Amino acid sequence: MAWLAIITAGLCEVFGVTMMNRWQNEKKFSMIVWLIVSFALSLALLSYAMNSVPMSTAYAVWTGLGASGGALIGMIFFGESKNWKRILFITMILVSAVGLKLIS
Amino acid sequence: MNKHWSIVLLAVLFEVIWVIGLKHSHSIWAWGGTAFAVVFTFYLLLLAGRFLPVGTVYTVFTGLGTAGTVMAGVLFFDESLSIAKVLLLAILLAGVIGLKTVTSHDAKEGDA
Repeated sequence: MAWLAIITAGLCEVFGVTMMNRWQNEKKFSMIVWLIVSFALSLALLSYAMNSVPMSTAYAVWTGLGASGGALIGMIFFGESKNWKRILFITMILVSAVGLKLIS
Repeated sequence: MNKHWSIVLLAVLFEVIWVIGLKHSHSIWAWGGTAFAVVFTFYLLLLAGRFLPVGTVYTVFTGLGTAGTVMAGVLFFDESLSIAKVLLLAILLAGVIGLKTVTSHDAKEGDA
């Protein structure tokens, strides 16, 4: 159950970032509401998961899922650059952020 | 350092403040300040997303937020600084600087 919660939390985070993207295009107030709801749900699920999964592991998986998902959605649906250098630098940031969360 | 990246850095600063706040708030004022920092962080992220790709903004925000909380832990809360931590922080910063360099060519400015 805890792992299901972490994965769902990661997906909620990706959804929140997608709403951030849509807000830039549409400026509808409902986007902000969805953004708040999805990030709040994401953090609630994360803290629930931390009851049974070690905090550093839970945090690392959540960060990795959310930020890589957000970047992928940007490239696939919102026309963000797929330049290999950009992908390399995003990967460097993600790998080191996940590593730091695992050992902290 | 241009204006739009400064907005992202300011968001990171407020993120570090509220992450510390979540752990160490004990009074109603501290909790109020923490809540304000959360709201202000997201306001800044949305603002930065007007000028820079949202995927870039969010990755930099996540990465530097992690680096900032690790540094705050070491500086203010007596957490240890290992070689592995220093190495990962260096890779992270190199990634952020690299991303900033390539983003100046494909930033949203102008094609909005």
